[in-house]
Formats: sequence, structure tokens, C-alpha cells
Amino acid sequence: MTWIASSSKGQLKIQQMAFVLMAIIFFFALVAILYIIISLGSLKEKAVSLQEDEAKELVRKLASTPEFASSACSNCIDLDKVFVLKFRNSYKKFWNLDFLQIEKIFPLSKGECEKSNYPQCSKITIIPQEEFGSPSSSFVSLCHFEPQKGGYVKCELGRIYASGKGLK
Amino acid sequence: MIKNKRAFEFSFSWLFAIIVGAVIIFLAIYAANKFIGTERVKQDTELGKELGIILLPIETDLETAKTSKISFPFETRLYNDCISSNVFGSQKISTATKSGIGNAWENPGFASTFYNKYIFSEKILEGKDYFVFSKPFEMPFKIASLIYLWPKDEQFCFVAPPNEIQEEITDLQLENIFIDNCPPKAKKVCFTGSGCDIDVNLLGSSSEIRGSLKRKYSNKVYFETTALFYGAIFAEPEIYECQVKRLMKRASELSLIYYTKSTLLSPKGCSSNLESSLIYYANQTFSINNSLDLISYISQDSDSLRRRNNDLDCKLF
Repeated sequence: MTWIASSSKGQLKIQQMAFVLMAIIFFFALVAILYIIISLGSLKEKAVSLQEDEAKELVRKLASTPEFASSACSNCIDLDKVFVLKFRNSYKKFWNLDFLQIEKIFPLSKGECEKSNYPQCSKITIIPQEEFGSPSSSFVSLCHFEPQKGGYVKCELGRIYASGKGLK
Repeated sequence: MIKNKRAFEFSFSWLFAIIVGAVIIFLAIYAANKFIGTERVKQDTELGKELGIILLPIETDLETAKTSKISFPFETRLYNDCISSNVFGSQKISTATKSGIGNAWENPGFASTFYNKYIFSEKILEGKDYFVFSKPFEMPFKIASLIYLWPKDEQFCFVAPPNEIQEEITDLQLENIFIDNCPPKAKKVCFTGSGCDIDVNLLGSSSEIRGSLKRKYSNKVYFETTALFYGAIFAEPEIYECQVKRLMKRASELSLIYYTKSTLLSPKGCSSNLESSLIYYANQTFSINNSLDLISYISQDSDSLRRRNNDLDCKLF
């Protein structure tokens, strides 16, 4: 009779311990899941902010890159080259950007530049993307060859927009 | 004779608690170790990307050269990897920071890929402070801004360099680069004679510096223009050859852009007649095998294009 009583007491203790262990494991698993969720969120945030930083720096630099730079004046964009660039697929991934566009601000004009309306147009979208974050922008001089009056380089006020690669 | 016959009662619950306790402690240590490792990889990956972004403002715009210094919070290893395949090839940058916990150096974080960067350095650099120097590379039009990177502990000494190089180093006050008065630990770069750490052999007397360069126990590499000369000095041959191939691929793409620009402007009265030469130059630069091709034939094609463009009223580049 006494033996049965002590054995059931021991079994109860083991059961108690097993429940405590289960609770501890469950608690740590919850903490781990919480940590992973928070750290993944911050990692995504950091990755996006780094891409945005890159886009910001790049937008300041693009006017002087060989694909954009004009030989007519310093820090001007050669619109003729940029128009050509629009049709070159090899450059779509070159700058790690989701969106890259050049817009003519003044004098006012309308529409995306195509072979039919260039240079009487407003925008040249080099990297088109439907979904992109808020783009960084910078004011630039847009220069192109104008055949009138014997031919000269005409410069206008423009803006360059770039958005860093987002996470998919 | 054992007088005391009372034995220590080691019940099952004790045994169970010890085993489970040991398992929990082992799992906790393992998880902590994994956590530290993952955090290290994460930080190193972020640092690699940040380095790539920091290098952007250091690249040249209109300047003929630019210098800067990069300091890391801890001793850091930089891994420079160059891949020449695909349209533009790619520049991969990864870092590993020294840690007081576990192994001092672990594998680097995930590499950040850049298609528009050209870093000339050793494959693995180590230090807390680094010097950066950048120069535009033109052949015949501007192709890219080249970046040269070396740690603070590394010194170079140029023995009897040509005036052009001497003036540039003096004007830019490049740190850890000495001229003629060589400190004992500095890597000697000799322009006359041989037997130095780096032997330079300049060819001809053209306006641009060109020639070959041989590092001790390494293959000879060839350069054209001062920008590539510095590249050959600071980068190990494997990186140098890869970057030259990448640069030539970009030159090829730029040639095609200038070709299309020329065809676009010709009907408007801005004819260059350079179309066939640009297509030829694009093909030649795209199919380059190594730096020897630079001085064998690409430099002649480039010079010819430059001269013809300079003679134009309506310049292409």
C-alpha cells in the first residue's frame, strides 16, 4: 500500500517536471519566433534604406557618368545619348535601380519621348517600373543638338528621378 | 569494512532533471552561438553594401583625380571579387569584421553586387583605415571612374617615376605613397631596372603612359593611360585583368550608344562619319582576351577615334 503511494507521488513529480519543461520550451520558441519576426522586419527596413541611400547618391552622380554626360558643358546631361539609352536593354539592371526617368521641366512639353516626337517631348523613362518607392530627384541641365540656325547645342532645365531596387 | 551502509538515493527525477537540464543548456549555447554568427553575417553584409554606397561620392565627376580615407569602427577585411562574364561583368564587395567572441575572423557576409564599379585592389585587404583614390578612365571617351583601395598599413615607393606620375602623387598628397625615399617596409615600384617588388616597363614616348608591369611571382600585365597604370599597381593581376575586360565591355556598350547617337544626328546635319569605326571598336573591345590586347591593337583604334572626333565640328564625345 505504501509502495503504491510513493510510486504515484514520483510519477506526479515527473509529470510536473515534464509540463514545466514543455512550458519552458514553448516560451523560448515564442521568444525565438518574436525575435525572428522583429529581426526580419528590421533587416528588410535596413535593406530598403540602403537601396534608397544608393539611389540618392546615384542621382547626384548620374549626370557625370559616361552614359549621361554631355561634352558640351560640365555636369550637363546629353539628352541625345539618354534617348538612345532608353532603347538599350543591357542597361536595365546596370545601376541597381527600379526606376530611372529624366523629365524636361522648362520649357514645358508633354509626353514620353519616342522616335516620332523626340526632342519635342517631356520624359525619357530609362528604367520603367510600375511599382517603386518614392524616387530621389535632382535638377540637371538637359542638352541636345538642335539643327536650326546652322546647328547648335540647346540646353534646358530638367530633373532626374531614381528609385532604389525594392524587395520583392 | 564499510561501517556506514546508507547509500545516496539517486532518484529517477534527479536523473531526468540532469539530462534534460544538460540538453537545455546545450541548446541554449548552440542557439546563442548561431545567433552571434547570424548577427555577424548580417552586419558584415550591411557593411559591404554601405562601403559600395560610400564609394559613390568618391568617384570622379569632372576631376582628374580624387582622394579620400575610409575608417571602419573595427579591424575589417575587405573582399574584392570581380566577375567578367555577362554584359558588364560585376564587382562584388564583401566584408568580415574582427570579433572578440569566437573565431577572430569568420567568413565574409554576403557580397553586394555592383555593375558600375571598378575597384582595383588586392583580393583580400585587412585593416581599420583605408585610403581611396579615384581617376577617370578614358579610351577614347570616358568609360568609367576607377577606384584604387589600399589599407593604411601598406606602403608603396615609386623609384624614379615619370614626371607625370610624380607630379600627380605630389599634388594629391597620396598617403603611404613615397617617391624615391623608400621606407623599409614599402613595396618598391621601379621604373628603371628590375628586381623590385613591382617592375614597370614603359613603352615608347606617346602622350599617354603605356607599358607593362610585373609583380614578383606574378604574371605580367599591360596598361594604357595613367588610370590603368595605377590599377595595375594596386590590384593583383587576376583582379586587374578582370576589371580591364569589364571596362572594355562597357567601352563596347558606350561605342554602340555613340553609334546610335551618330545615326540619330546625321539626318539633322551633325554627321560624324564615325559609324563604321564605332561598330568596329565595339566589336574589338567586347572580344578582348587580356590586357595585352589593349596595347596591341585597342589603343591604336582608340587613338584614331579620338583624333577623328577632335576634328569634327559637331563632336560625338
